[in-house]
Amino acid sequence: MKFGASELSEVEQDALAEIANIGVSRAANSLRQMVGEQVLLSVPAVSIVTRQAASRLVERDNPAKLVAVQQSFEGPFSGRALLIFPEAQSLELVRSIIGDEHSLEDVIDLEHEALAETGNIILNACLATIANVLRRTMRMSLPSVIRGDGATLFDVQGGANGGNLVLFLYIDFTIKHHDVHGFIALLMDLPAITILKAIVRDYIDAIGQQPSSHVG
Amino acid sequence: MLDDLSEFALAPVLDALDLGTIVLDAHGRIVGWNEWMGRVSGFSKQSVLGANLYDVFPTLRGSRLPAAIEDSIQVGSSSVLTHSLNALLPLRGENGQELLHNIVVRPISSGRSRYSLLQINDVTVPVTRERVLRERQNARYHAIVDSAPDAIITTSADGTIQWLNGAAERVFGYAPPQLVGRKIDVLLLGGDKLSNALAGDGAHGAGSSIQVVGRRQDDETGYFDVSFARWSADERVFVTTIWRDVTGRMAAEAALRESETRHRALLEALPQLVWTAGAGGGCDYFNPQWQAYTGAASEAHLGSGWLKVIHEADRAGLQAAWESSLSQGRVFDAEARLHRFDGAYRWFKMRAIPVAPDGTITKWFGTATDITDLVEARNSLRRNNEELEALVAERTHEREVALNQLYESQKMETIGQLTGGVAHDFNNLLAVILGSLSLLKKALPEDPRTSRLLEGAIQGAERGATLTKRLLAFARRQELKLEAIELQKLIPDVMDFLRQSVGPSISVTLDISPDVEPVKIDANQLELALMNLAVNARDAMPLGGSLTITCRNETRRDLAGLPVALPRGDYVRICVADTGEGMSKATLVKAMEPFFTTKGIGKGTGLGLSMVHGLAAQAGGAMHIASDLGRGTAVTLWLPRARQEDVAQPAGQPIAAATNGTGRKLRILLVDDDSLVSMNTAYMLMDLGHSVLEATSAGHALQLFESDPQLDVMITDYAMPGMNGLDLARRIRATRPMLPIILATGYAELPPHATLGFPRLGKPYTQDELAEALDQVLNASPPQGSWGTEFQSASGRASAG
Repeated sequence: MKFGASELSEVEQDALAEIANIGVSRAANSLRQMVGEQVLLSVPAVSIVTRQAASRLVERDNPAKLVAVQQSFEGPFSGRALLIFPEAQSLELVRSIIGDEHSLEDVIDLEHEALAETGNIILNACLATIANVLRRTMRMSLPSVIRGDGATLFDVQGGANGGNLVLFLYIDFTIKHHDVHGFIALLMDLPAITILKAIVRDYIDAIGQQPSSHVG
Repeated sequence: MLDDLSEFALAPVLDALDLGTIVLDAHGRIVGWNEWMGRVSGFSKQSVLGANLYDVFPTLRGSRLPAAIEDSIQVGSSSVLTHSLNALLPLRGENGQELLHNIVVRPISSGRSRYSLLQINDVTVPVTRERVLRERQNARYHAIVDSAPDAIITTSADGTIQWLNGAAERVFGYAPPQLVGRKIDVLLLGGDKLSNALAGDGAHGAGSSIQVVGRRQDDETGYFDVSFARWSADERVFVTTIWRDVTGRMAAEAALRESETRHRALLEALPQLVWTAGAGGGCDYFNPQWQAYTGAASEAHLGSGWLKVIHEADRAGLQAAWESSLSQGRVFDAEARLHRFDGAYRWFKMRAIPVAPDGTITKWFGTATDITDLVEARNSLRRNNEELEALVAERTHEREVALNQLYESQKMETIGQLTGGVAHDFNNLLAVILGSLSLLKKALPEDPRTSRLLEGAIQGAERGATLTKRLLAFARRQELKLEAIELQKLIPDVMDFLRQSVGPSISVTLDISPDVEPVKIDANQLELALMNLAVNARDAMPLGGSLTITCRNETRRDLAGLPVALPRGDYVRICVADTGEGMSKATLVKAMEPFFTTKGIGKGTGLGLSMVHGLAAQAGGAMHIASDLGRGTAVTLWLPRARQEDVAQPAGQPIAAATNGTGRKLRILLVDDDSLVSMNTAYMLMDLGHSVLEATSAGHALQLFESDPQLDVMITDYAMPGMNGLDLARRIRATRPMLPIILATGYAELPPHATLGFPRLGKPYTQDELAEALDQVLNASPPQGSWGTEFQSASGRASAG
């Protein structure tokens, strides 16, 4: 049953996706404020996988070179949050945020902080949404940028520390005609997942009780 | 100790910080504002405490800072807002310059109250420094890449275009935003090669280049040499590619390739063997015809390997000519035999011209053309010429021989004429002398002393007569009684005498073919000739030897290549060969000349061979002497065969044996232009008791006939100026057919075989011979012989008349 606890039902998946979409739409709002243009973010799918599986998923089309923004969080459940892009997509993302008028050198120079800030916005938005749903606070660290392959990002060798499960979300960006595809990964241990599932259930129950009022 | 420290108030610390701190409560009111903030914002702590942050900085309302602050209070999240992505606070540095800053938003909890801490970091100095650095770097960089004629495109390792220069826009027809973020493949027609190279497939290192087909926005294509360099920034790998448009070059190369292909096709289509060589002379190409002819692969003949197929005899010369051409840059032109695959050699004309596109020889273009037929024709022509020359030489030699023969025969002819003339006159003189001496002998009384002198004079004159006779024989003016003679009879008849003449030390052999035909010759003269030859042979063999007489039939057909000229006809060859000492060439040349002799003075007359030669020639044949010193001498006579009519009559004597004189006194008309001869003859006639009327010419004689018809006999000389004796005789006979006429002739004065119809008296004659002639004509008893027939018919007519 241990492994079964980590599985999400279809309803849970849909609920999580909705929560995530609420989060990223917040982030999109923030990004729009920042770049001054329409930003579309969406989370088409959600799943819970092992770190190894997550590592394979992020490398599926882009072996090795990945860029990630990482923030750790503490609260009702704890863990690490990662916004992951293939390296090439990250540059595209940065260019879309800072503008096409910048030279390649500028883009490269600004990549680090722009990526960190963008990641910070998106991850904050997602986690904040979850915290909102919980009506609890969650402390989140400042973002850092890490590079490497899937195994490095998911600390596959790291083993037990921090748990073995990953809440894995696909995320699509559309900014200024640039389409960027990335991933959001929440690395959590089994208790954290269990709590998350409980939260999701509460959320589903809440929706069931108040079908007419939808959280905006 | 520790308790004391824990009570330390942090407010002074915040004011001492070199960064800004702002603390907001859950309603957004400012509850904390350190001194650094006061310095850079121009708002003191007192003026802002309790105020809403967005009232102090109204522009912040449009930024994402409010959301970040709310999240930090509501959720507890931390946020980073950078100056590069966000328009933040209007802060100024000490010098009034804009202060670049980042803001970190963090949640703070104090009991149940929640606050938000804003930390404002001054990044003006590092950012400015970086900007200056980057701008300086960019200025240099752009100076290079913007002025570059080549398209410069930077991509990430996966081929995503990150940057391009102005030339790239022009070359490909895209504006930068249309390309940045797209894959490099959009610029390529089939771009795997370049994409792999960009990804670092290892096959293409830094500085290397690959050739690609580029595609412009208008779908036009072009050729590019793409060189690339990989570089990395922040662990990210980029590749900068430089695109050199080589479309023109490619077109030129394609044209060149096509030209070379055409050139090659031409070389391979030529029927000749074609080869090319580098400037140094090393051959680098042989066309298929060469390979087919030699039967060896082209590789075997590269460099100077081709010399192997040159005929050994031609190789050194050809190599020297080739090296000479190479060193002087002149056209190479030589002929040589080349070894064919089947081992045969054929002649080729080797020709090569230097190719010097800009004055310097870069290549040699050579052909080898089969000229075997030509060479053979040339050789054949040369052979023909040689044969022709040989033929000319042979003909020239033959002509010289013929000319020599002609010269010899003309010489002999001239000598003969001279000799004949001299002999004729001597004959007359000898006739006078002999006549006078015989008369004198009669007239003088018998006295042993005078009679001995007289006999000596008569013998000397007679020997002179014999000599002149031989001279005349050589001059072919002797009187020949040509008749058919059977050698099978004649030669054995003279053998006894001949053997005696040559002596016992010499053996004589006869080799007469039984079928030898009769020849037409004067028998006496032929006997004399054989004797002469035998005596010559004897003299050539003082120590003895053998003498062979051979007789064979020969026809003109067999005479080809004979050393003498003979008309066509049938001949009999008589060869008299000895084994004696022979003759030198010099001797041989003169052997037939009269008076030439090798015998001691007094031993020979030098007329023997001359006489034989004259006899053969007069008889219509020829004589030849073949001799070599020490190898004997062979004298060959060719005598014409007798025709059927010649065989009819046996030989007879011109003058019949003397009969007694009639004793009758005659009136004789003596005609002779030579008064001395005439006088002498007149004396002899008168001594015989006749009366003589002398005439000095034929005209004179005719006058005398008219004036004195009582003449009994006419004796006339043959050779006279004006009308000759024969014509005179015929005239007289026309009017006086019964008158006896005697024709006195020197030897051979008459044409050979002339049918005179008159009795003839040979000069010089003695009184007895004169008397006999008179007797004969007067006896009216016709003698045998050709003229006898005439005489008879004449007399027959007389008797009839």
